[in-house]
Amino acid sequence: MQLSSFLSFRPWFFLSLVAALPSARAVDFAHDIVPILKKHCSECHTGEKKKGGFSMNTRGELLAGSENGKVIVEGRSAESLLYKVITTGDVDEQMPPKGDRLSAGEVEKLQMWIDAGVPWAEGFAFKPAAYEPPLAPRRPELPAAVEGRENPVDRLVDAYLAARQRPRPEALGDGAFYRRVHLDVVGLLPTPEQLSVFLADGAADKRARALAGLLGSAQDYAEHWLSFWNDLLRNDYAGTGYIDDGRRQISAWLYQALLKNMPYDQFVRELVAPPSAESEGFGRGIKWRGVVSAGQTVPIQFAQSMGQTFLGINLKCASCHDSFIDRWKLDEAYGLAAVFAEAPLEIHRCDKPTGRQAKAAWLFPELGTIDAALPKPERLKQLAALMTHPGNGRLTRTIVNRLWHRLMGRGLVDPVDSMQGEPWNSDLLDFLASDLVDHHYDLKHTIQLICSSQAYQSVAESLVEGGDRKYIYAGPRAKRLTAEQFTDAVWQITGTAPGKMDAPVARGGAAAVPGEELTGKWIWSNDQKGKAAEAGETVSFGRRIELTSLPQAAAVVVTCDNGFKLWVNQKEVGASDTWEKPVAVDLLPHLRVGKNEIVIAATNGGSGPNVAGLFVEGRLRWTDGPSQSLVSDATWLCRAGEAPAQGALPGDAAGWKLAAEVDDAAWRGLRDTLRNQLAEALRGGGPMVRAALLKSDFLMRALGRPNREQIVSTRPNDLTTLEAMDLNNGQILTTRLEEGAKVLLGRRAGQERAALVPWLYAFAYARPPLPGEVALAEEALGPEPTAERLQDLLWALLIQPEFQMVR
Amino acid sequence: MNALSLDPAQPRRDFLKKLAAAGAAALLTPGARLRAEAVVQPKATADACIILWMGGGMAAPETFDPKRYQPYEKGAPMGNVLSTFPAIDTNVDGIRICQGLEHIAQVMDRATLIRSCVQPDLGSILHSRHQYHWHTGYVPPQTVAAPHIGAWMAKVLGPRNPVMPAFINIGQHLEGHGESEELKAFTTAGFFGSEYGPMNLPVPEEAAQSVRPPRGMDAGRFENRSALFKKLLDQHPQRGAVSDFQRESMLRSLENAHRLLSSKERAAFDLSLESPEVRESYTAGKFGQGCLLARRLVENGARFVEVTTEYVPFLHWDTHANGHETVERLHQEIDRPIAQLVRDLEARGLLDRTLIVLASEFSRDAMIEGVPNSTATDQAGVAGDRLESPQHYGLHRHFTGGTNVVMFGGGMKRGHLYGETAAERPLVAIKNPVSISDLHATIFTAMGISPRTAFDIEGRPFYATLDGKGEAVRDLFA
Repeated sequence: MQLSSFLSFRPWFFLSLVAALPSARAVDFAHDIVPILKKHCSECHTGEKKKGGFSMNTRGELLAGSENGKVIVEGRSAESLLYKVITTGDVDEQMPPKGDRLSAGEVEKLQMWIDAGVPWAEGFAFKPAAYEPPLAPRRPELPAAVEGRENPVDRLVDAYLAARQRPRPEALGDGAFYRRVHLDVVGLLPTPEQLSVFLADGAADKRARALAGLLGSAQDYAEHWLSFWNDLLRNDYAGTGYIDDGRRQISAWLYQALLKNMPYDQFVRELVAPPSAESEGFGRGIKWRGVVSAGQTVPIQFAQSMGQTFLGINLKCASCHDSFIDRWKLDEAYGLAAVFAEAPLEIHRCDKPTGRQAKAAWLFPELGTIDAALPKPERLKQLAALMTHPGNGRLTRTIVNRLWHRLMGRGLVDPVDSMQGEPWNSDLLDFLASDLVDHHYDLKHTIQLICSSQAYQSVAESLVEGGDRKYIYAGPRAKRLTAEQFTDAVWQITGTAPGKMDAPVARGGAAAVPGEELTGKWIWSNDQKGKAAEAGETVSFGRRIELTSLPQAAAVVVTCDNGFKLWVNQKEVGASDTWEKPVAVDLLPHLRVGKNEIVIAATNGGSGPNVAGLFVEGRLRWTDGPSQSLVSDATWLCRAGEAPAQGALPGDAAGWKLAAEVDDAAWRGLRDTLRNQLAEALRGGGPMVRAALLKSDFLMRALGRPNREQIVSTRPNDLTTLEAMDLNNGQILTTRLEEGAKVLLGRRAGQERAALVPWLYAFAYARPPLPGEVALAEEALGPEPTAERLQDLLWALLIQPEFQMVR
Repeated sequence: MNALSLDPAQPRRDFLKKLAAAGAAALLTPGARLRAEAVVQPKATADACIILWMGGGMAAPETFDPKRYQPYEKGAPMGNVLSTFPAIDTNVDGIRICQGLEHIAQVMDRATLIRSCVQPDLGSILHSRHQYHWHTGYVPPQTVAAPHIGAWMAKVLGPRNPVMPAFINIGQHLEGHGESEELKAFTTAGFFGSEYGPMNLPVPEEAAQSVRPPRGMDAGRFENRSALFKKLLDQHPQRGAVSDFQRESMLRSLENAHRLLSSKERAAFDLSLESPEVRESYTAGKFGQGCLLARRLVENGARFVEVTTEYVPFLHWDTHANGHETVERLHQEIDRPIAQLVRDLEARGLLDRTLIVLASEFSRDAMIEGVPNSTATDQAGVAGDRLESPQHYGLHRHFTGGTNVVMFGGGMKRGHLYGETAAERPLVAIKNPVSISDLHATIFTAMGISPRTAFDIEGRPFYATLDGKGEAVRDLFA
């Protein structure tokens, strides 16, 4: 059977002929035809020009023909006037009348295009787009407040709704507000304790105070918005390019910038024209090994990244050819790229060299220009200044729109990367942008302004279908928990956050805390008393502690020359491979009433015999009792070799001997660090490690955390079937809930049994359970809740849409 | 077990209906939208597709394109090494393949063998970049995340059996080695969104686990847990009060997942239901058992399955030293299972509508890195211009000038040879070169997807084959 016999010949729109005749090379309208029409015909027949009554702005106009009748007969080039006038030798008839004639190749392409039925790119038109967003900032006049709704956002939104005779969405209740604002501002669930204090508070300004408190929790705020910015700046802790310096992290810089709430203009300047290597990773992009297409070289990536992230301009089309979807041109993309280029940059059109050199330039020359003759660092400084120029309303509109999208569930301009589009409320967009400048580019101010509005504090819009036809504002939209929010929430409820993180950042900055007195000793195995340890040898250490009740705070700091792994009750909870970097671990989630096992596999480094030592200093504190120390000394057990599987300490400890103290001279310089780390970890257990600080795992990937090779500005809002399968039987969530149920049971051991279900509902949903819900949950738990039953109840609660959505 | 029939006489899909369905799906996923300028979808010659992936660079002269045989002789010039395996006859006149593939040799009469596939020289021969290219049709980096070929099938064709995930990926671990992030970059549905992404089954013997209740939970407890979820859902204070699209959509996905986990088809994932004899006939080991799993999944309505020998840097087909010895082992790993898979599908009447494609990111050569005159850095692990020890014996350089693809079933010709490489080095394709775009166009066309099918992403069309320009190789079709 020949291929053609099983291809359908049924005509289908205007591409049918091409598809049906696979032998004919396909006609590529965007890449082959548009440039020819632009070069030879556009001057007189596009835009406002309509010589001879003929315009080719759209396919419809093209086919409508000229004052002389049809110009093109679809599918028949030989009968088409257009074909005749481009091929004729008659100077009176020929088109174009002046200038170069079409080359034979160009004529052939147009001929094929007509024969193929004049395929066109959907929505494409030669005329400029109807809407061109303004560049200059604007301070719209605020409408008068109605019913005391003074917040500028409300004044604008109320007027918008009134003008359309649309109702205001209903006000949000306290519990739902509290959950929403926590998740939106710091990415965490409010604890049941926080919630009950808030609900009991009768003061009129309690929402404002709650919001201010959240914005004031610098670390929680930073560790939530870190994911938003990592996505936008395609920064991660592992991924393509990092291993061979083709890509650099900006994690440490970004974390500090968020922690200190760096003004946004400075933030942008430091990313565009990095004052140090710390923030240069974004502009450098990803340098791939080997050959990449002209549209993906590092300078072009620079142009695309700067355009997309800061200006909501998509230069991806224009990196190859003049964009068909907006006004950006190939030369403009290359101009921006040339700002970053180290060497002369030749303009390539669709991966083919044009012979023209790009000249460093800026997208909005009305604000100023870049001196292409200056060296690169100076050009970048000029670009940074233009980007943050007071006249560049595009920068501030783009970021306030992103914030509105995150908080309200849909952008004022949507999609958020397409700021070329028309906002549904330009007064609101322009106000927020100008207001950001008036408040010294303080992003927290904009968040505060939006979250304190009645618009934010209203019930989420109930959608009857996905997607927007013609969007009309009807309240905030529900958002799905991000992968990081979901993960953090599970850790919050079950108390099982990991003890270590991947992000190379100084958490919470350098907090000054009162030091603990150290009483631990440096120890090693007893075998080579007084002699140096073998290079590369591993010694395992173990310790049991018995607890009659769980402490309220428990932490340990561990270090080892050269490295170690720490297990508590057979769970690996910490590790380090450098003695200069001790690790502090919150023990609370891992301890249980009864016997507890601490096992450490300690490894020496070096190339010949050298000193080795392990140091452990821990505290367990009870609110109404003495504290207990857990420190390394000669009473610890040890044996040569790797730790037993999963760090289990054999019951009889056969083959284990007592450890020996070693001289601590080599490590005395570390004492302050150890003291501070322990104190920090003990301070309320220390804030839990957040998912944003970890490399992605299968569960997070399944829940929509992106691979950050490309810039990602919005996460998927829908749960897919494959994701749902992961929630059903994926190992990560299962294990987490299994451990979590055990920890939770242990923690709540002394507490009133009946309080458990309301506590879970308060934590998960920020509301009390209905009687029917209590009955079901109690039935599921049974009279004596086991870890297994609690695990299943947790699962059934945490995969409810009510949990997975921020409404 | 109850296999679903693959009816060869299945009426041509109603493309209009498909279009409407895709349009509805597009409303759910912001981003990708099927282009309205519709193309005619060719009539499918296959309903299911199995890619047998030889990750790491399968040397054509050591497998399906034998050249002059050089036995191991200490001191022999490296330049003399073209093949380190002698050629054997197959059951097709004029097609000889390498010794070690005796079982495949006996099913070559069902095969179409392409010896002239070519890859671009990307300047630095990196497995992950070429694998990305092979699996998505696009050379990385791309400005949007490109979908895997399996995701295209999931997106355009959807599942063949509604409970079966449309895109299943067997045998590749995505964690724990040096290029795992690079593998993840293309083992994805990209901008289509994860609904169309792979269900990953890195260990075939453990596949059953992925559709079973979580470890340590028996079926009764699993069902109770689901029942509890539903009862709690019904107690929700706002139940029925508002019809909310987002909530409904989430519940639908949870329902779909639960449906597969409690379906009869989930037995397809369980290799322990096969007799020891059948398991043995596919060869113990990951690839062989992966092929058996692929057969079971296709029998039960899987749309697209990839089975890999697994790519791990410097392991398996990624021979930088000791090539001969390693390939000898790989022959054993792949020979019987592939032949058995072909025979089993045929015996079940499924081969005609199942397209099997064996492929690799590039070939290998003893002397040339990339293609002749490439600027690519030589990456052979053992240097020297003579065979000084057995570890020198083999093809240790990456070669992109002539690569093998073997296809079975799915409407392809039988006992057919296409393309040719030179008899002497450089062993480049000298007849009918086939690019990745054209190879993909062939696979897509067989599956009933036009190579020009495009989705709008960020306002631009993104085509099934690069710029919509891939052309099916018509001579391969029966």
